[in-house]
Amino acid sequence: MAAKLNRRQFLIRSGIAGAGALSLPALLAACGGGDGGSGGGGDGSLFFENWPEYIDDETVALFAEASGIDFKYTDAYNDNNEYFAKVQPALAKGNKIEADIIAPTFWMAARFVQLGWAQKLPVDKIPNMANLRDDLKGQPWDKDQQYNLPWQTGIAGIAYNMKATGREVKSVEDLFDPAFKGKIGMLTEMRDTMGLVLMGLGKNISEIATFDDAAAAFDKVEKAKNDGQIRAFTGNDYLDDLSAGNFAACVAWSGDVLQLAKDNPDVKFIIPEEGGTSWFDTMIWVKGSENGDAVAKWMDYVYDPVNAARITASVQYMSPVKGVQDELVKLGGEAAALAEDPLLFPDDATVARLQSWGALAEEEEAKFDEAFAAITGA
Amino acid sequence: MNPTARLAKVASRPEHVGLGVMLALAVGAVALGAGWVRGPGSAVVVAVMLASVVGIIGVAFLGGLETRRALAPYGLLKPGILWLSLFFLAPLWSMMVMSLSSKQGRFDFFPSFTWEWDNYRVALTDFRPQFMRSFGYAAVATVLTILIGFPLAYVIAFRGGKYRNILLGLVVVPFFTSYLIRTLAWGNILADEGPVVSIIDNLGLRGVLESLNIMQNGKLLNTPAAVIGGLTYNFLPFMVLPIYVSLEKIDPRLVDAAMDLYSSASSAFRKIVVPLALPGIFAGSLLVFIPAAGDFVNAQFLGNPQTTMIGNSIQDQFLRQLNYPVASAMSFVLMFVITIAVLVYTKFMGTEDLA
Amino acid sequence: MTAFSRRQRIGQRVINTFAGLGLAYIFLPIFVIIAFSFNAPKGKFNIKWQGFTLDNWANPFAQEELTSALWVSLRIALISTLCATVLGSLIALSLSRYKFKGTGGVNLFLVLPLTSPEIVLGSSLATLFINRGVNFGYVTVIIAHIMFQISFVAVTVRARIRGFDWTLEQAAMDLGATPSRAFWKITFPLILPGILAAALLSFALSIDDFIITFFNAGSLVTFPLQIFGASRVAIPPQINVLATMLLIVSVSLMVAGTVLGNRRQRKLAGN
Repeated sequence: MAAKLNRRQFLIRSGIAGAGALSLPALLAACGGGDGGSGGGGDGSLFFENWPEYIDDETVALFAEASGIDFKYTDAYNDNNEYFAKVQPALAKGNKIEADIIAPTFWMAARFVQLGWAQKLPVDKIPNMANLRDDLKGQPWDKDQQYNLPWQTGIAGIAYNMKATGREVKSVEDLFDPAFKGKIGMLTEMRDTMGLVLMGLGKNISEIATFDDAAAAFDKVEKAKNDGQIRAFTGNDYLDDLSAGNFAACVAWSGDVLQLAKDNPDVKFIIPEEGGTSWFDTMIWVKGSENGDAVAKWMDYVYDPVNAARITASVQYMSPVKGVQDELVKLGGEAAALAEDPLLFPDDATVARLQSWGALAEEEEAKFDEAFAAITGA
Repeated sequence: MNPTARLAKVASRPEHVGLGVMLALAVGAVALGAGWVRGPGSAVVVAVMLASVVGIIGVAFLGGLETRRALAPYGLLKPGILWLSLFFLAPLWSMMVMSLSSKQGRFDFFPSFTWEWDNYRVALTDFRPQFMRSFGYAAVATVLTILIGFPLAYVIAFRGGKYRNILLGLVVVPFFTSYLIRTLAWGNILADEGPVVSIIDNLGLRGVLESLNIMQNGKLLNTPAAVIGGLTYNFLPFMVLPIYVSLEKIDPRLVDAAMDLYSSASSAFRKIVVPLALPGIFAGSLLVFIPAAGDFVNAQFLGNPQTTMIGNSIQDQFLRQLNYPVASAMSFVLMFVITIAVLVYTKFMGTEDLA
Repeated sequence: MTAFSRRQRIGQRVINTFAGLGLAYIFLPIFVIIAFSFNAPKGKFNIKWQGFTLDNWANPFAQEELTSALWVSLRIALISTLCATVLGSLIALSLSRYKFKGTGGVNLFLVLPLTSPEIVLGSSLATLFINRGVNFGYVTVIIAHIMFQISFVAVTVRARIRGFDWTLEQAAMDLGATPSRAFWKITFPLILPGILAAALLSFALSIDDFIITFFNAGSLVTFPLQIFGASRVAIPPQINVLATMLLIVSVSLMVAGTVLGNRRQRKLAGN
């Protein structure tokens, strides 16, 4: 059988197919380009990509109204390493990313600054920066406070479900109690998990500088994992497991658990006897963003104690802003009760029990991360 | 033979022209994508590709009816081949190059090609448990899908009657919900305080299940069994459909005849139905085993730190440790093992039946 | 038909039961998903049944990020399915209609993306983009989706039009139609259902794709990516609602397709 295929038909068919294939990328580029993102252009826009559950319902709208800035706020920042991996292809090539402000945890912020991916903040346009808590000023990687402005600070300790444990939990060693086999959770945040374990072994984490210093702790956690003691390494998702009783106890962050304990009185948060780790997430202005004025306005806004208090009342972490305690009292009701909470406003005795990590050199940090990744099974 | 005559001879074999153009396009696409050429070189490659397209059209134009007819399929294939070469072959090449590269420092984001075979050594030794585990889980899941899927496909094919399509639809429809949500739902179902565990406790089966290592410490969730269960569930339709297709082709009169010839239905079943269903089972096994081996979602949501699969490791190395070279090496090893399986299958069965 | 002995009937019952259990097994999580869309969870996760409520269905789009992620997924799926259906159908046409050298090779080439694990496809494509300095976003995701959809469409359409009687075109042309007319008026309408079915299925594949998108999306958030990110913090019941809605829409489309197809067949048979 011979299907008649004259020249015109062949030409047309081939041509269509070919033209189609070649024009597709152009079509796609047009479609894709239209949604490039709102950050980085013009004076009146701002994009803050933050952690989840890290702000109240009103502040975003109030700020947008008061300043007239087109403010985009998302909570897509789920994990430091994951976010870093997402943006490094662009930033490494000198391209800009969509976000203007991000709030990485302090050690990740240090990395951004060291790689040159953070811009100097327009400090003279942020008068409220003077309200920054003194203990947070002058980090070793940003001595002159030019690159970062803390967003929230918190404590990593132990959270436990009274119904599941049947007893009080007081120490890091309780996490390794065989009675809780298969019901222990730990965080994927290496510094919080290993920090607690190291303190449980009697070490001072601010003095840890090399992997060898910490090797014993890694061995201990690895053994616990192999014995089936640890059920899972989690991010923020430990809350429900804790509530449901899947975890008897886990390494946890103060603010999260406080929010949970309101609804579920069986859940408690403690700073272990040996101590807890203190951490903070801090705002940095990403390289390539051109919205310096908007950035300054936002930072100034959230460092006003009134606004800071409103945020604290919702997220229940320790505010980096001075004067929040008084503002909370003024707000009255539940917020005033928070003003008394030792986990939000720790007294000196509590502060003395908290430790924070020093800076780790690049190669050492790599060893830590690798060892931890091997343990979390990834 | 002088050049013109030779050219004429080539032009008189249009398949060669067609194949040649396909090859030119494919190689050109890979070259562009994988970065074999840069700058002026790429311009040359693009020119060659365009020339070949023009060439084939020209040959068709000038040639006779038979030529055009012979060249038509190549014409239709052009854009698809181009796309696949650019976005499937070229990436594989890129990945191969990356797997032999090394980083000059922790935050070196552009690893350089250094024939770093050590990446493969790392991939094969450090991640051996994950590899073995992945293949193990995937194998068990495949067997389970056969056990569950075969009766289902059998009933639909032989007993379905006019409800066949509806029943098939019923099998497929649940998989129009999100993969992640389905897996999370299993987390719900298997939770410690959930219905399944309660029923097991009430029936007193806990001891039995624990000795089989299906439950661990009274948990059903965050166990290897949960991960395998998730894999089985999520890839079940990939087994049911191919088995159904091959069973459907069986003439029911064959089965009747067999039952007349053999003394029992089970013999007829074993000797006639099963062998004829084998192509379907084969195809289904590949369609289940391969994606299951590379999956990481089930292990992430339903597993624990000791059930991580190679997919989780690749994801971690790629997206958190930023260790592209080792991640690429691991991907390659995975791909290699699986490709061997596919090649064995195609040798055995022919690619036609995969459809 | 042979009369069934008692043993055979028992055997049949056993197999029927197994099949029924299998079907129940398939639907179990779906019921859980639908059921929990009516849940009123107290905490951030939708795991324990706390109370019945219609609120979630009243406000399915309350979670802004979830909804915008869904939009993103829909747009990507639309564009990629369109392109992939065209490209894939062309390949299927060429493979089934013509016999030419290289069929085996093309077959293999087509099947390879389908049989590679998604993680390899995703990470290799990401490696390519990183090497060539392409920014991750809409374009990269669409490219990735088209890549695996082409194979899928090609294989599905080819399976559907296998056994198609190409002499119909010849007959039309003998009656005086041009090849183009013969194709568009005779062949195309008959293979259209197969093409549409493949398009529909690959649309579903694109919306639900996770692993490949995960590696190539950069900061872009699609529906599955949003669920993945959210699953570590909070799983609002709206996820269940949206998933159920997607399910209802897909089922309706499928049912509509089948009904229309049956009606058409009856019309053709009637004539």
